[in-house]
Amino acid sequence: MRSQDIRPWLASGGPLLFVAALPAILLVGVLLYFTFWALAFSFTDLETVGAKAVNWSWVGIDNYVRLFTRKGFLESLWVTLQFTFFSAIVGQCVMGFLLAVALRGKTGRLRALVEVSLMLGWLLPDIVAAFLWSATTSESGLLNQFIVIPLGFDPINFRNDYALTVVILANVWKGTAWSYLLFTAALDSVPREVLEAATVDGATSRQRMWRIVLPMIRPHIATNMLFITIWTFTYFSLIFAMTGGGPGNDTRVLAIFLYLQSFDVHKLGYGSAISVAMLVIVGGLSLIYLRLLKEPK
Amino acid sequence: MKKYLLASGAGLAMLCQMAPAFADVSIMYPDWMSALVEPGISNFEAASGQKVNAVKMPGDGYEQRVAVDLAAGTAPDVVVVDSFMVSELASAGYLYDLDDKLAGWDQFKYYMPGLLDVASYDGSVYALPTDTDVRMLWYDKSVFEKAGIEMPWAPKTWDDVIAAAEKIKAAGVENAFVLPAGTKQGEAATMQGFYMALLGADTPTDDRNRLRAWDKNAWIGDSPALRRTLDLYKTVYVDKELTPASINYETDVGAAIREAISKDQLGILASGSWEFSCLWDCNGINIPSAEERNATLGWTPWPGSGAEGAPATTNISGGWTLGVSAKAADPDAAFGLLTSIFDKDNFAKWTIGEHRMGVRTDITESAEYTSDAFLAEATKLAATTTGRDTYPGYAKVTTAVQEATAAILDGASVEDAIAEYKATLEDEFGAEAVITFK
Repeated sequence: MRSQDIRPWLASGGPLLFVAALPAILLVGVLLYFTFWALAFSFTDLETVGAKAVNWSWVGIDNYVRLFTRKGFLESLWVTLQFTFFSAIVGQCVMGFLLAVALRGKTGRLRALVEVSLMLGWLLPDIVAAFLWSATTSESGLLNQFIVIPLGFDPINFRNDYALTVVILANVWKGTAWSYLLFTAALDSVPREVLEAATVDGATSRQRMWRIVLPMIRPHIATNMLFITIWTFTYFSLIFAMTGGGPGNDTRVLAIFLYLQSFDVHKLGYGSAISVAMLVIVGGLSLIYLRLLKEPK
Repeated sequence: MKKYLLASGAGLAMLCQMAPAFADVSIMYPDWMSALVEPGISNFEAASGQKVNAVKMPGDGYEQRVAVDLAAGTAPDVVVVDSFMVSELASAGYLYDLDDKLAGWDQFKYYMPGLLDVASYDGSVYALPTDTDVRMLWYDKSVFEKAGIEMPWAPKTWDDVIAAAEKIKAAGVENAFVLPAGTKQGEAATMQGFYMALLGADTPTDDRNRLRAWDKNAWIGDSPALRRTLDLYKTVYVDKELTPASINYETDVGAAIREAISKDQLGILASGSWEFSCLWDCNGINIPSAEERNATLGWTPWPGSGAEGAPATTNISGGWTLGVSAKAADPDAAFGLLTSIFDKDNFAKWTIGEHRMGVRTDITESAEYTSDAFLAEATKLAATTTGRDTYPGYAKVTTAVQEATAAILDGASVEDAIAEYKATLEDEFGAEAVITFK
């Protein structure tokens, strides 16, 4: 009798388990449902408005052929890869790691200041951040008023001349907090005794980093890369609000290209093919990271 | 089947916003039209006792939002749409055919038939126009004075405009000639920039200065007019760098232009008649008197290119409309809200107060309208105006035009931009429906 009392109530029967799992099943179901429709659309010439919104037809792989034969997709893919590599991998990941290492074991004002600054960027809504960066980098903005002009140079229109660099920097500023927090937690998980033992054995600080810390937190690095690559590869709001994909097509990442094709040109079928292609690319990158997660033999 | 496809594709996010649509009547409009719509809502609520759910949206991205909401079947009952979208939306079955209801409305007879055409599809009226417009080159008088350009400014060819812009640039003004370009502003870039130049780039014979050759029943994929127009963009943004391209991609383009004007950093702006209030505030809140505005800014008709046979000046008119969603739960109530907004007193107050070009004879023939100096001048331009090539598929062509200007801004040659433009049209409509003018 007593042993039954302490039995976890969830394990008491199948139906209950099913009810508990219902939200998850629903969520997965909805995800699959939309993915299926996107896939189905991508083989049609469906449009959001006009006659083809009613009389659409199946067009086979036309939309996928279009990805490679028409201008737009490959150019946007190249912009997206640059944006992802420099803002997520080089910027957020490396910078987050370096900050976490530098501030490890530190307490007091400096650490609090850095953490609050990082979090502010992270917590600020994308649209607000976009206005902030627009104002900072414009010809009459903060950067020119306080740095470029006092140094005796002509003011620079950063968003006209270095648009991609500006949105990359904005995204590094916006997203570094996540990597920093994750790496701080990861570094805390490295047992102090192991590091002390290595020091006693004569390992230099560089050796301790390369031989002990990095291998131990490798799964964290892979997880972080997985997350930020997916987020950054599909990122839309900050870039769209800051530059709308321009000037010209300088900052037109795939997410913006997808938006324009689907809702501005109104070609929902083509837009769906772009989204399926994005899914495949992100899926491929994720597989690479998941391999990294596995322990080496 | 189609309903399912569209509903699922366009709108999980929209589902969250469906809730207000179950209230009595709902409406969606861009913020710059508040001064027309909001008093109409209040009057409707007072008269009918029904509650109106109003969805006010920013102007940026409004075009896309309203189309997606209608496609997903989640749009409010009454929607404000750009006139060029009416036929595209009506042909998809998203808009309610207003013919029967309009027949029973005593003020319908005042609408000018020519202006109802843009809001019609297959012989039926699907929306009512709010206003029409003309386009021109606005200029900042203090900047012109600084640059030493004679006023009133009356350029005769594109070269005159470029020459003025070069003087303005030499006087240290950042945005010497803002010629709307790129995809961010949507239809505005096509209408205020590309079309105005295109119409003056070649002779009107055989529609050589248009996007569509109507008697040949084909879109124009390549023509001297298209090339000259793209070349103008190249001159402005690339060769002479008269304006940084980024102004067309600002977080809030309208705000950036107003800021540039207030700082005397803008010389010439290609835009339209609505700017007489919108360059300050579209809803007329706290704006200076007409005299003060005239002292700040002037305008001149868009000149032709100067090419042989090209018109001396050009113009094209557009405008916005209000329609009813085909999915409106209570079309009578929705139509009631529509007529409340367009009721003479409210409509006339907005038209005259914001210096909009009227679409109804009972307003345009009123003493207040005819005595408005700005409207009188603008109406003269309307005498030779034309409309967009709103044949089905225009929504595609206009985005291809915007893409072509973006390519030029990116440094592409006119040759490459034209080749891509033509390829896009051929991909869309088939090679037989696209022609070339030599």
